Amino acid sequence: MGLALGVVAAAGLSLLVGIQPVTPADVVLALTAPAGRPADAVVLYLRVPRTAAGLLAGAGLGLAGAVAQGLTRNPLAGPEVLGVNGGAAFAGLVAMALVGVGPLGGYVWFCFAGAALALGAVLAIASAGRDGATPVKIAMAGAAVSALLFSLTSAIVLRDHDLFERFRFWLVGSLTRADLPIVLQAVPFLAAGTVLALALARPLDAAALGDDTARSLGARPALLRGSAIAAVVVLAGTATAVAGPVGFVGLVVPHAARALAGPAHVRVLPLSALLGALVLLLADVVGRVVLRPEEVQVGVTAAVLGAPVFLYLLRRRRVGDL
Amino acid sequence: MPRSALPRIVSTLAAAALLFAACGGPPSPGAQVGSGTTARNCGIDVTVPGPPQRIYAAYQPAIEVVHALGVSDRVVGTAFLDAQVLPEYVDAQAATDHLPELPSREALLAANPDFVVSGYNGLFATTGSESLGTRASLRELGVQSWIFSPLCPSADGRSDEAIDPASVTIENVYADVRDLGRLFGVADRAEQVVAGIQARIAAVQRRVADAPRARVAVVSPEDDGTFRVAGGLDFVTRILDIAGAENAFDDLRGRRNVPVGAEEIIARDPDVILTSTCCDGAYTPADAEPDAERIRTNPAFAGLRAVREGRVHGFLFADRAAGVRVPHAAELVASLVHPDRR
Repeated sequence: MGLALGVVAAAGLSLLVGIQPVTPADVVLALTAPAGRPADAVVLYLRVPRTAAGLLAGAGLGLAGAVAQGLTRNPLAGPEVLGVNGGAAFAGLVAMALVGVGPLGGYVWFCFAGAALALGAVLAIASAGRDGATPVKIAMAGAAVSALLFSLTSAIVLRDHDLFERFRFWLVGSLTRADLPIVLQAVPFLAAGTVLALALARPLDAAALGDDTARSLGARPALLRGSAIAAVVVLAGTATAVAGPVGFVGLVVPHAARALAGPAHVRVLPLSALLGALVLLLADVVGRVVLRPEEVQVGVTAAVLGAPVFLYLLRRRRVGDL
Repeated sequence: MPRSALPRIVSTLAAAALLFAACGGPPSPGAQVGSGTTARNCGIDVTVPGPPQRIYAAYQPAIEVVHALGVSDRVVGTAFLDAQVLPEYVDAQAATDHLPELPSREALLAANPDFVVSGYNGLFATTGSESLGTRASLRELGVQSWIFSPLCPSADGRSDEAIDPASVTIENVYADVRDLGRLFGVADRAEQVVAGIQARIAAVQRRVADAPRARVAVVSPEDDGTFRVAGGLDFVTRILDIAGAENAFDDLRGRRNVPVGAEEIIARDPDVILTSTCCDGAYTPADAEPDAERIRTNPAFAGLRAVREGRVHGFLFADRAAGVRVPHAAELVASLVHPDRR
């Protein structure tokens, strides 16, 4: 409950903090009786879509991370580590650069395809060899695929100045692109992914006991794996379509959720969604004000805030104890 | 890209062969032996034994100045245009060997230039994807180089982050034209070019002399919803000044192009907004209209003074540059900012 209030507070901050001074009264007036006041445009067309995008993308990334870690029983399996964000970003860039499809609706499918291909490649590479997909092999395969995808994305984007300026969004995540149509189109995808993810809570708990035990408890490991992969692809793919390849949120947030609520997925999954939204919104608010007049992209602030936590996790935990 | 690997290897081998051939001798057969001519450019002494015969021009301002100086027949290659060249140079430009993007270092050297003129400093910066090597590294190969001095970096190998603010003046454009004219052996022509620029600028300044000075923002809308604005360091600030206007982002002097959010533009509420449409060698002012329309129709900008008063205009990045295009750009900006003073 406290966490839900925290998300509401972060959303409030995201509506109020920025270069244009906006008061709570401005927000209320803009939402209830817009009349072309200067603050109305800022609230309606900049702050609200941005805040909504932060909520959706943050929740999607947190949830995707929790499912990914539960699925692979791997504490290092954020969607970014599994190559999902990178695959989605690369495919989104290709869609925009080559095919030129319009706002979200068109290229979100490319993002899904890219995310699925990247995740499939990582799992396939990690499964090769005698001992199967160990946490370390998954993390290494994910790092390799992510590096490859980042290089490909950079190769396209850095080819000339102009393209770089237009598409830098796909290198580091950002909420500045969000507008209402993009956010509204993202809602059904994220809702579907969320429902699917939450339905997996019990099967994920059962799977944590090992495939054999899970089977004796009535779970179907293959079905679980397929559903969980679909949930990760839809959640992280949509989040990337909205906010670009934001890192560290999906990786770090589930650890915080487990620290708060213990290992049961019934609690970890919703908490991860709330924490993801909270973290992404706060990171965005920080990025708006630290280097004024320039904006720091939320992907950068999320990495600056998330990297130390990730390193702490690496040091503290033995890899694989999940 | 396997498709292009073979030509790349061939061109590299060709460049190596040419380098061997050039070793020890003067860089080009046509150069006259004499006492040589020296001009100082961005802190570097540029000495040519005689007028360069194999000039390579990269970026719009450099390409246009070689045509203005009448040495188009000595140009062995041009690369990267931000827009169509000025009408008077279209025929000369059509006759050159032009690349729409910058060459690789190998491809540049394969053209065997003895002089490289660059319109922007990034060409010789050690950072950035567009670098063809520092000026010192080219000089070792017998290739002299020139950067348009309003963009002088503090040291060789640096780029926009190190522009000397004192050099961003119209006087530096005149100095470049005169120095290049002297080095190229066409000093008289250079004086004519300078006189022509000065006369047209003076005419613009007279026209807008007592008009109120508008605050103008030069803005590129980006794909991610942010904007790049021309800071005070950018030469467009000088063009705006000639045209009777001020840069609404004059105080941002860290670099030429500054990424800002929509709220920063709303906070500054400029009187006039110009786009900065770039970069295609076929662009004409009409190609800048879509950018202007994106700004006009952005719902967040509906309350902006420039939007309400219909003062958002398509503008080409090419017209922001320090070069022989300045009078053309100043006349254009003056007509947009002070339509009553045509």
